[in-house]
Amino acid sequence: MPALHDVDYTLEYPYTRTTGPVIGPFLTGLRDGRILGQRCGSRVLCPPMEFDPDTAATLEPDLVEVGPGGEVVNWTWVAEPSAKHPFDRPFGFAFIKLDGAETALVHAVDTGGDAGAMSTGMRVRAQFRAERHGSIADVYFVPEADAVEQVIEPGEEPVTITEHLISLRVNEPLYPHRARFAQGLLDGKIIGQRSPVTGKVYVPGRGYDNMSRVLLDESDEVEVSDAGTVVAFTELNPVQYYGQTETEPYVRCSILFDGTDQPVIGIDIRDMTVDEMRVGMRMRCVWRDPEDRSVADIDNRYGNVPETVYARFEPTGEPDVPAEELKEHSW
Amino acid sequence: MTQPMQPPEDVAIVAFAQTPSYACFNDSEPAMIMPCVNSVIEQTGMDRHDIDFTIAGSCDYLSGLPFAFVMNIDAVGAWPPVYESHVEMDGAWALFEGFVRLQSGDIDTVLVSGSGKCSPGSYREGFSLQTDPYVHAPIGLDPRTQAGFQAQALIAAGKATERDFAEVVARSHANAKANPYAQLSGDLLVGDLLAEPYLQQPLRRHDCPPTSDGAGAMIIARADKARELCDNPVWIRAIDHRIESHHPTLRDLTDSPSVRLAAERVGLHHGPVDVAELTVTYSPEEIILREALGLDEATSVNPSGGPLTGSPFMAVGLTRVIELARAIANGDGGRGVAHASSGPALQQNLLCVLEGDS
Repeated sequence: MPALHDVDYTLEYPYTRTTGPVIGPFLTGLRDGRILGQRCGSRVLCPPMEFDPDTAATLEPDLVEVGPGGEVVNWTWVAEPSAKHPFDRPFGFAFIKLDGAETALVHAVDTGGDAGAMSTGMRVRAQFRAERHGSIADVYFVPEADAVEQVIEPGEEPVTITEHLISLRVNEPLYPHRARFAQGLLDGKIIGQRSPVTGKVYVPGRGYDNMSRVLLDESDEVEVSDAGTVVAFTELNPVQYYGQTETEPYVRCSILFDGTDQPVIGIDIRDMTVDEMRVGMRMRCVWRDPEDRSVADIDNRYGNVPETVYARFEPTGEPDVPAEELKEHSW
Repeated sequence: MTQPMQPPEDVAIVAFAQTPSYACFNDSEPAMIMPCVNSVIEQTGMDRHDIDFTIAGSCDYLSGLPFAFVMNIDAVGAWPPVYESHVEMDGAWALFEGFVRLQSGDIDTVLVSGSGKCSPGSYREGFSLQTDPYVHAPIGLDPRTQAGFQAQALIAAGKATERDFAEVVARSHANAKANPYAQLSGDLLVGDLLAEPYLQQPLRRHDCPPTSDGAGAMIIARADKARELCDNPVWIRAIDHRIESHHPTLRDLTDSPSVRLAAERVGLHHGPVDVAELTVTYSPEEIILREALGLDEATSVNPSGGPLTGSPFMAVGLTRVIELARAIANGDGGRGVAHASSGPALQQNLLCVLEGDS
């Protein structure tokens, strides 16, 4: 039996946020090659804030340019950068008190990978990236002696929205019961788990019976029929949300395989229209040829009986099961 | 001087359970939680549906699944439907909500759980999303970096040295030898530790937590019910949560004013502090917490080994309460404090004072 794939996927949420009266000008300034602080009484705050950090009193927007030079007042060296850091080689993160500001900004200092170049009290200077989007990542810092003069072309419209793509990579083995289920599909079998408490058969199994709170393992697994009954269906008209790959309407149904107590949801039907579907209709799986089957899309969370293992589901021609008998399973 | 909180309802821990701290638990989060839930139900002899309220703490970003916390309900026995809640926080905050819920006096029992799997993803990337979304998160400002700042600040202020950090690590690993749930343990020499390379200067790898998966659960109950369910309940005398700015540059990283205030609010020194189970995720934090809590040699700090020897995020704070409850139930102390932390560099702190049956 060949080893199954690890689960490796990236969870993404695209966030957009309004910037408001203080952060907006600050981010606009970064895009335009300037760093702005906010006046707070006799002090200047950078990063700027809409409120007095001591009293929480609202501050009227009153921005003043600070930097581009500053002093490191605290630092730490990142030997192993994360994928989200500004540099992919070792660098320093520092508290930087910009000239003209009384509070410090946290940002990255690039010393070309030399931790020995970092020290409290060192002078640094802002450098702006060639591509700027109105983000704190438009800027970074270098030791003052390494700074180069830059001519920054200001943008046009003020920055009123930020975009932040949250992107988290998940990498783990298939859980043992998921691996056995996926291997079953490659072998043209649908494997379920039978609860020793209730006798109910779940497909796919989840490694436990959540009704009786017992863990299930290989000894609880059974092969079930690849024929069953449609218990629910709908037509999907794909909305073009972020990450959508479908463009045309199609039918998605749930099938209660014979000998099981839980329908398999998300079975997609491409060769029948929604008008041809009925609750109670008997269907069977027509498997792809073994060499054409893939379970690559099965992970530990998603993926039941995917289109990559079947050619189609076809009506068996048997009489329909009365819908009344399926009430418990209409999902 | 503020007066310690006086909860109107006496509340006790009547059952607790935890998983080992796993380097990788190769199954689902519900499958990890379920044995803990079953254990605490069995300890009390209750029927699942006699438990009045259920609350969990976990983090969907760690699981890498939207609404992962809903799937976790599979583990707590939620059919027929139960009265249930969730916090996107460590399970210690679920305990806090459960404790507050009992104060209203209309229900008797709460099932609390906390769980987290750090192994599938990158906690540094996930938890950088706790920071300010405009000026910190876009540059990936991660908890380890913020711990590095805190360590550097301590050194710069003359309050600690790298040797002090290494001593915390050596002590933690030695204590963990007696803890069957610990992921790391052993006898380490401070000199050897100091010879290791920096990971996050001035921190070395051992100053940082291991990658861990794990869960914990407990049942808490009002006084009469607690005595009915348990021969030696452990009483929650007080609980308090305080926070500081999410801008690290506005804080004095060498101190923890929020811990000091919480300690005052829970009346920490109105009695002996025999045991302290502290969320020391990075070794310098123990130095700050000892000082802010005003602990001296009379207090045994992290006899379990603490998070440096096993750190399943979102369960690790609740696990401190569990470890303290176990120590008190075993007679290793009569009174103690458990500390949970959230946010980077001890930004948020929760204290919970436990006392044995008297």
